[in-house]
Amino acid sequence: MRALTFAARNLLRQPARAWLGVLGVAAVGALLFDMLLLSNGLVISMEQMLATTGFDIRAGIGGMVPGGGPLIDDAVVLADRLRALPEVADATPVRFADGLLARTPRPLGVRVMGAASAGRPAWTLLRGRDLTGAPNEALVSQRVLDVMKTHIGGTLDIRTFAQGTRTVAPAEHLTIVGVAEFPFESERGTTIGLSLAGVDRVAGGTGAERAEQFLITSADGVEPKAAKAAIERAAPALTAFTNDQLLVRMQQGGLSYFRQISFVLTTVTVGFAFLLVTVLLTVSVNQRLGEIAGLRALGFSKRRAMADVVSEAVLIVGTGAVVALPLGLGLARILDWILKSIPGIPASLHFFVFQPRALVVHLVLFALTAVAAAAYPVRLVATLPIAATLRREVVS
Amino acid sequence: MRQIAAAAGLCLVAFGTSLGAGAEETRPRVLISRQLAEARHLAPGSTIHLSSASSGERAQPFVVQGIYEPTPNPMEISESKFKVRLHLPDFARLITDPNDLVRLETVDQVNLALRDPAQAATVATRLMTEAPGIVARPVRVAVGGAGTFVAIERFHLAIAVVTIIASALFLLALSVMLVDERRDTVGVLRLIGLTSHRVLGQVFLEGLIVATGGSLFGLVLAAGSQAIINQYFQWHYNTALVFVRVTPSVAFLCLAIAIPLGVIASGVASWALLRRQLMALARR
Repeated sequence: MRALTFAARNLLRQPARAWLGVLGVAAVGALLFDMLLLSNGLVISMEQMLATTGFDIRAGIGGMVPGGGPLIDDAVVLADRLRALPEVADATPVRFADGLLARTPRPLGVRVMGAASAGRPAWTLLRGRDLTGAPNEALVSQRVLDVMKTHIGGTLDIRTFAQGTRTVAPAEHLTIVGVAEFPFESERGTTIGLSLAGVDRVAGGTGAERAEQFLITSADGVEPKAAKAAIERAAPALTAFTNDQLLVRMQQGGLSYFRQISFVLTTVTVGFAFLLVTVLLTVSVNQRLGEIAGLRALGFSKRRAMADVVSEAVLIVGTGAVVALPLGLGLARILDWILKSIPGIPASLHFFVFQPRALVVHLVLFALTAVAAAAYPVRLVATLPIAATLRREVVS
Repeated sequence: MRQIAAAAGLCLVAFGTSLGAGAEETRPRVLISRQLAEARHLAPGSTIHLSSASSGERAQPFVVQGIYEPTPNPMEISESKFKVRLHLPDFARLITDPNDLVRLETVDQVNLALRDPAQAATVATRLMTEAPGIVARPVRVAVGGAGTFVAIERFHLAIAVVTIIASALFLLALSVMLVDERRDTVGVLRLIGLTSHRVLGQVFLEGLIVATGGSLFGLVLAAGSQAIINQYFQWHYNTALVFVRVTPSVAFLCLAIAIPLGVIASGVASWALLRRQLMALARR
């Protein structure tokens, strides 16, 4: 009989103990698998989100990551200049602001996004029509429509506190022309899309087309790095960031917490799995010392006896690791749902993202755990004195 | 009482020890964060040049009056710890055109301390009604970060629940094995006249002692490791923020979960054995 079959039969002799061990490993394994998904999940998800917007470069002024920096004057003219570059396929100036919609009993806070698209739109139109550039037209997210209990063709009264303005303007009347899905909008997000002139006007400006940043698409066959260099040459006041650069910034910034906690919990769960299997195997071997000595006396080699113990570890850890995968995926959905309740998290962002690499690391870690956990019980078997153990067994 | 606040990204252009005492006295004073002082080897009396432009244009000299520890803020954990505090007029002159009198009088916000904090929402509504264009929000509404920590707390709780489930399974498997090992002893105890309940009571007591000892050891381990964890993360993020704190309520919660869990695991494992026939226990 082969070692693996022998170990399987040995485990089946005491199914309760075997299943409890397997389930314990599976629970720990599920947590380990989730932590591996978390370690890179947020970065991968963010990368996917940035890619789905269709823009691979973001540019602003002030030398910092675009967003919240100084406003760019004559943004539409500058966008035309950028579009004329051979390395650039499209450039859309955008501006953001926070605002309040007049509503009873209390105002509704909204995010206002202003854009002047010439090619790829900065949002996805779901119903109605897109903006024509008139400052009193607005696109709204479905949630705004639901909360305000209004419809396409209805009106909204809005006040904004746009970046770059020092006073809050009086309310402006807007006409809803369509419903759109806005990039990076949270599940409970309320966003309104306006033209650049529209944002400036409701913010108390003169209707000037000023922007906070440019969303830029590189031309076909042009590396984003090359397009970034061309943009900075053509407009020295602008600092451009490729999506990869933005991801690096994010990894060094707010996303690092989840990598840290992932590392800590991965270490703890592997340690826990190691302890669990070591203790189970050691107690099991100690209980079967007489039986093992008997088998050795009957002619089982030392190597074969050791192989039995390793096979037992492989069966417990292997079965646990496989059961851990569906458990881990289910748990990941729950944990993702919990973390997505953080205010402002985009609806399409996920903290736990499946990657083949995570699966490979999960299996390798468990294989190493099985081998390490079997080390001490194997040593017990290898150094077992056959005659003395049999004698002790008979006397007891 | 009111507090006026303004903030902006500034550029530290140059730093060093100072010029003549006369020139220093006329220069505006600033406070700098401990992290900035350590990174640039600055001390009270040092002269620094600050500019609102990333290119360093129109930099102005300031004298470091003192060094302060920024209030630990979890929302700013990954942000720059290099901070400078200026008097508001100095700050306004630094970031605006000195001839623009309107902008020199401009601030981002005015913080109010109310005689009756419970009236914050009412006061905010009244301000917005009586002064069109003003946006007033109670602090507890304006602090959006609270939701972040509620979600992270739930996340940690979910991980703790999974860990407890894994521990419970581990404990149960171990208890089953240990009880099985004592099958002969239990058989003999039953043969000499001890009842199942008497043996079970003994097992419960043993379980209680082991669970209490294990839980206390776990708490000592957690209390010991919290300093290491805090030191690591405080070093990593260069902050005075406390990341792990074993409070009495946390310790009590751990004991309240771990001890009953240990006792129940011992009891369940033993009960399966004690249900067997006496002769089967004694292997006869």
